[in-house]
Amino acid sequence: MKVAIIAANGGAFDAYKVFNIATAAAAADGEVEIFFTFEGLNLIHKEAHKQLPMPEGTEHFKEGFEKANVPSIPELIEMAQDLGVKFVACQMTMDVMGLSKEDFVDGIEVGGAATFLNYAKDADISLTF
Amino acid sequence: MKADFTVDASGLTCPMPIVKTKKAMNNLEGGQVLEVLATDKGSIADIQAWAESTGHQYLGTKEDGEVLKHYIRKASEGEEKEEKKYDKTIDNNGLKSKLNEDITIIDVREPAEYAFGHIPGALSIPMGELEERLNEIEKDKDVYVVCRTGNRSDMAAQKLSEKGYHVINVVPGMSEWDGPIEKSDS
Repeated sequence: MKVAIIAANGGAFDAYKVFNIATAAAAADGEVEIFFTFEGLNLIHKEAHKQLPMPEGTEHFKEGFEKANVPSIPELIEMAQDLGVKFVACQMTMDVMGLSKEDFVDGIEVGGAATFLNYAKDADISLTF
Repeated sequence: MKADFTVDASGLTCPMPIVKTKKAMNNLEGGQVLEVLATDKGSIADIQAWAESTGHQYLGTKEDGEVLKHYIRKASEGEEKEEKKYDKTIDNNGLKSKLNEDITIIDVREPAEYAFGHIPGALSIPMGELEERLNEIEKDKDVYVVCRTGNRSDMAAQKLSEKGYHVINVVPGMSEWDGPIEKSDS
C-alpha cells in the first residue's frame, strides 16, 4: 500500500487528520509520504506544531481531546517518523514565507511539486487535507 | 486465553492500538499469538482490517468488561505456500462424513486459534507440544490431524507417522471448515 498525502492547512484538526491516517497506514506496512505546503508547513514547524490553533468556536473540544487521551501532535509526529513516514516540505512555500530547513522538525526533506507528483503517480491512495 | 505476548493499548485512541500492535508484532516469531488489550471500540474493526492488510491472522476478540482483548497470530514466512509432503490426506468433506465414527481428531493450532472455533471433540495439542504429549493419543485409532491450512498438520502427520500412528492429514483444514464448530473459553 502506497499512500500520498498533501497537508495544506495548519490547524490542530488538520494535523490530527493528517498524522492519524499517516501513522495508521505506516503501521499497516504502508509506504507513506506527506507533502506539506502553505499553512500545512505549520504542522512540522519546530515551534508552531506544538501549539496549533483549534478552529474558531471549537476550543471547548480541548477537554474532549484530553479526556479521550488522544496523543499530542508532537507525539504523533515522532511516531509517524519512527514508523518511516516521509515528510517533505514545499520549497516554494518555504521561500515565500522565508523559512529554511532548520525551522522544521528534524528528519524532513525539501522538494517541489514535481517531487510529490513523481511519488504520487503510482500511489494506491492520495489524500488532501 | 493463552498468548505468547501481550500489549496493552487500553485507554488509548486511534491510531495507537494499531501502532502498538504493529510494534509488538515485530518481537514475535512467525506462528506466535499476540494479545492486544484495548478500550477503543473502533479497534475491533481496525485490528481486523490491519490484520487483513498485513497478512497476519485475526483470531477473534473477547470482551472483558470495558477491555477488548484481540488475538492475532503472526504469519510465518511462506505460510501460504502449499508444500505438502505427507501422502495420506483427506479433504474437509471426507472428515465431516467420519465425525460419527470412533476416530481421534487432533488440532495442532495454537490454543487461541482452537478456542475461537474447533471441530467438536478435537483434542488440542499445539504443534510445539506434540512430542511431549504423545501419550495422550491412542495408538489403535485412526488419527486425523488438522490445522488452519494443512501445513502445520502436514508436519504433525509426518511426525506421528514416524512414531507408528495411523495418521491422515486434513486438507485444507479449519480455514475452510464449514462443519460443526465448538468454542471454548481457555
